[in-house]
Amino acid sequence: MRRVLVAVIAAVAAVLLLAFSGALFGHSPIALLAILIRGSIGSRFALEGTLLKSVPLLLTGLSVVIAFRAGVWNIGGEGQFIVGALAALAAARFGVIASLAAAILAGAAWASIASLMRLWRNAPEVLTTILLNFTAIHLLGWCVNGPLRERAAQYPQTDLAAAALPVVGGVHAGTLIALAASVFAWWMLYRTVEGLRLRATGLNPNAARWAGIPVRSQIVRAMAISGGAAGLAGGIELLGVTHRLFERFAAGYGYSGIAVALLAQLHPLATIASAAFFGALVTGAGELQRTADISAGVATFGQAVVILVLIVFEHVRSSR
Amino acid sequence: MFDLLVNAIPLAVVASIPLLLAVEGELVVQRGGIINLGIEGMMLTAAMTAVVAAQATKSVIAGFAGGIAGAAAIAALFGLFAIVLRADQIVTGTAINLLAAGGTSFVYREVQMFTREIPPLRTDAVLPLAWIAVPIVLGVVLWNSSFGLRLRACGENPEALAATGRSVRTHRWAALMIEALLVGLAGAYLSLALSSGFAENMTAGRGFIALSIVIFGRWKLKGALLGTAIFGLAAAMQYALQAANRGIPFHLLLALPYVVTLLILCGVAGRVRAPQGLGVRQR
Repeated sequence: MRRVLVAVIAAVAAVLLLAFSGALFGHSPIALLAILIRGSIGSRFALEGTLLKSVPLLLTGLSVVIAFRAGVWNIGGEGQFIVGALAALAAARFGVIASLAAAILAGAAWASIASLMRLWRNAPEVLTTILLNFTAIHLLGWCVNGPLRERAAQYPQTDLAAAALPVVGGVHAGTLIALAASVFAWWMLYRTVEGLRLRATGLNPNAARWAGIPVRSQIVRAMAISGGAAGLAGGIELLGVTHRLFERFAAGYGYSGIAVALLAQLHPLATIASAAFFGALVTGAGELQRTADISAGVATFGQAVVILVLIVFEHVRSSR
Repeated sequence: MFDLLVNAIPLAVVASIPLLLAVEGELVVQRGGIINLGIEGMMLTAAMTAVVAAQATKSVIAGFAGGIAGAAAIAALFGLFAIVLRADQIVTGTAINLLAAGGTSFVYREVQMFTREIPPLRTDAVLPLAWIAVPIVLGVVLWNSSFGLRLRACGENPEALAATGRSVRTHRWAALMIEALLVGLAGAYLSLALSSGFAENMTAGRGFIALSIVIFGRWKLKGALLGTAIFGLAAAMQYALQAANRGIPFHLLLALPYVVTLLILCGVAGRVRAPQGLGVRQR
C-alpha cells in the first residue's frame, strides 16, 4: 500500500513540476494542466489515444521489469522494439500469429547479442544495448529508404503490412495481448521455478550461484525474454497502429519503458497502471504540442522527474 | 582504401574532439568509482547552454563558459542523486539523459534564439587542449599527485580511503566537477565549432561511445587516446566513403560508428580489470 502511495505521489509531483516548468517560459500552469488532462482523458477520442500509447509502453515496461528483476541492464528496448517491428513486417504475409512470433524472436535475438557479448567478451550490457539501439535505428532508416521502401517510392516508408490485428470493441487486439503478457509475466516471475531463479539471480548472483542456479544462462534467458517483450511491442505497434514502418517509428517507447517499470516498482501487474499513466502523459503532451506549441518532449522530461522523485522516496525510506 | 584513410586523418582529429574530451572526463569519474551514464545528457545540455550564452553575449568564449556551466548544473544534479542520496548510478544516469533530452527539446521550441547565427570561432585553441594539454594534466593529476592517488583509491577501495579520515564524497564531487569542465567544453565545441548551433539530440550517442572507449582503454589515458583515435578514424572514413560514393548506402554508413564501438567493446580481450568500487553504491 505504501508503495502504491509513493508511486502516486511521484506521478502527481511529475505532472505538477511539468506544469510549473512551463511557467518559467510564460505559460500558465493551470492552462497547461487543463490541456494535459483534456488531451489525455478528457474525451472519448483522448482516452482512445491514451490507450493506444499505453499498449507499447506496457510491453516495453514489462521488458524492463523482467531484465531489472534479473539484475541485467537492458536499456535496449528501443532497438528491440524496432527489430521486432521489422521482423513482424517481413513475416506479415504468413498471418498475424506468425508475424507476432517473428517479432518476439527478433527482439529476443537482438537482446541476445548484448548478453552474449557480455558472456564471451565481458562487454557491459548497459552500453552494448544502447549502442544496439542506435544500430537498429539506422538499420530501420536504411530499410525504409532502400530495400523496404514503398512501391510508390514517394515517402521514406514501407508499404502497408500484409496483416493487421483484429479490432475488438473499438481497440486493436494487441491491447488484450499486452494485458495477457503482464499476467503471464507475473505468473512467470512469482509462480514458476524459472521466475524464482531469475529473481534470485537479480537479488544476489553469488548466493544464487551457491544455490546451484546457473547464473550465466539465467542472465541470457532473462535478457531474451526481456527482448522478446520489447520486440512484441514493436510488432503490435506495427500490426495494430501504424501498419507501416518509417524512420521515427520507435518514438522513444523503448526508453520510456524504464520509467514505466520503475514507477511500477518492477511489479508486472502494477506495470499496467504505470503504463496507463505514462500513456496519458504522452498523449497529453501531444495535445500540448498541437494546441499550445509546446514540445511533446515534455513527456520525456516528465518520465525523468518521476524516476528522480522515486529515488528521493526510496532514500527517505531506507535511511529511516 | 589507404588514401581514404590518410585523407581522413585531419577530419578525424578535429571531429573527435568532443568525444575525446568526454572520454577524458568519464575516465576521471570512473577512476573515482562513478559510472556517469548521464554524460550523454550532460553533453547535450552543455551544447544548448553554450549556444544560449554565445547568443546572449555575442562572444564565443562566453559560449564555452556557458557550456561548462550547463554541464556543471547537470553534474550537480547527478551528484545530488548518486553521491548524496546514494541512488543507483545507472538509474540516475538514465533519468538525467531523459531529463536532458526532454528539457532541451522543450527549451528549443520556447526560445527563438536558436535560429540566429552564432558568433564564429576564430582560433581553435580546443584542439591542442583536448589532444595534448588535458592528457598531460590528467596524467600528472591522476597518477603523480596525492589527490590522484586518493581519487583512484575512491574507485578501488573507498573504505580504505575513508579509513584514512578522508571523505570519499568530496573526492567524487571533485571528479564530477572535472568531468563537467571537460564535458562542458565538449558540448560547447560540438554546437559552436563543429556545427552552426544547437539541434535536438545533436550528441547522437557520443556520451555512450565515450563510456565504451573508457572501458576499451582499460581506464588508462593511453588506451583512451588510442580508442578515440581508432574511433575517430572510423567515423571520418564514414564521411570519406560517403563522398567517394562507392555504392555503400548512406544509412548503413550512419550505423557504422555504433557498430565500430560495439566491436571496440568486444575487443577488450581477456580479463578486464575495472576499478573495484566502480558503480557500487557508497554507504
